[in-house]
Amino acid sequence: MNKGLIYLKPQRQWGWEVAVYLYLAGVGAGSFIIGLLMDWLGYSPYSTRAILLWGPILVTIGAPFLILDLGIKRRFLNTVLNPKTSWLSRGFFILSMYIVIGLVIFGISILPFLGISISNWSSLLLILDVVGFILALATAIYTGILLQSVKYVSFWNTSLLPVLFTVSALSTGSMAIILSTLGYSILTPSEGYPTQLMDVLISTEQVLIVIEAIVLGLYLFFRYKAGEEGKGSARLLLSGDLKFVFWIGIIVSGFFLPIILEAVYSQFQEQHFLLFLNGVFLLIGGFFLRYGVVYAGIKDQHPLQKLIQTHYNLRTLKENYG
Amino acid sequence: MQKKVLVIDYEKCTGCRMCELVCSVFHTGASNPSRSRIRVIKWEWIGLYLPITCQNCEEPFCTEVCPAKACHIDLKKHMVVIDKNKCMGCKTCVLACPFGAPLFDEVERVTVKCDYCDGDPQCVRFCEPGAIQYVDAGEVSGVKQLAAAERLTSALRKSPGM
Repeated sequence: MNKGLIYLKPQRQWGWEVAVYLYLAGVGAGSFIIGLLMDWLGYSPYSTRAILLWGPILVTIGAPFLILDLGIKRRFLNTVLNPKTSWLSRGFFILSMYIVIGLVIFGISILPFLGISISNWSSLLLILDVVGFILALATAIYTGILLQSVKYVSFWNTSLLPVLFTVSALSTGSMAIILSTLGYSILTPSEGYPTQLMDVLISTEQVLIVIEAIVLGLYLFFRYKAGEEGKGSARLLLSGDLKFVFWIGIIVSGFFLPIILEAVYSQFQEQHFLLFLNGVFLLIGGFFLRYGVVYAGIKDQHPLQKLIQTHYNLRTLKENYG
Repeated sequence: MQKKVLVIDYEKCTGCRMCELVCSVFHTGASNPSRSRIRVIKWEWIGLYLPITCQNCEEPFCTEVCPAKACHIDLKKHMVVIDKNKCMGCKTCVLACPFGAPLFDEVERVTVKCDYCDGDPQCVRFCEPGAIQYVDAGEVSGVKQLAAAERLTSALRKSPGM
């Protein structure tokens, strides 16, 4: 019996479906933001922008996962059509608009493949791009707000969470763009390897990963300080039931290996499989970040339970009720 | 807010979980404690049991976070109720409640909570040791004072020199 330490169990109300939803929405929105920025800065290497702007597809795949988690799925629409009531429904509107606009932009970007010229559409495209960019940013931020809006779970109730998820969305998103560009350049050798774009993307990625690590550290630190409940959640991740998710899934796969592999890759630029490996690890890390944060969102033991434990000196409760 | 409330004396509870059984029978027709609206938390190694159910808070967390507004305060009944026809089973209220009182019913696929069995709580009726009582909200402190007085007298009787 380790006196003085209470390890709570991960929460069991919101499952992996929510984590998948948050993850795919994040990567989809982040890659779109990075893709658009690269295009605006003039780094788009190919005749088509499609390779930079496929993010909305991921969000489309991810969106149904939120509904999968519900008890009665057909009632979803009744609830979300009233945007005044909750962030769930506001998010539904943000995501729907983003999916529609994003898919239209993606659709237009593949038109050149079909031999249709879009050179006269530049003003329309610019408007669509700006709207799409704003919606993508809103989607990335929203993934954190959805959790934050459950105000009474201390681990989620901080504006650092939307920041963390947004930075993670950008870092996983830029990695997704790196992988798709690399894949495209390997599949179509005639188009050539876009050295300039890849250099910019990789250095963006490196900056983002450092920012993400700092934000994650700050997030955990401030949540640890935020009362007993936040401390319980942080402890659950650092040394409790979720320690493998945190140390292997998030830290090793999401930060440590990508940083090492990127350093190695910078020495051996021809070894593209290193970059692929790096990308796979980073994307896995991004998923486990959502997974860990969702499952660590536990609430405190209720007052009576705490009273009894203090009263009878029971400081070793392993079971979380509920 | 409410007129009558459930008062729990955990020192009387024997952990028989009859309350869970009769609650599930009354509400679902099945004798399945996992679908009960009341839950007994156990510390078996010291023989301590705590039945917990909805406290009908004045400012409930559950009603605030419910995205479907199914979980709301019923002003006529003076209690928090969940509209079964609106609830979509997102379990946000379960996450928010500090008492863990709304419970997700795996069969009905919605969140359910204690409704005092429309004024005749079955857990109270069947609780042999009388650990759960249904009293006027104003009397709660009276009930507790009485119990404390009883404990004091029994302790005095046992002590030597009396």
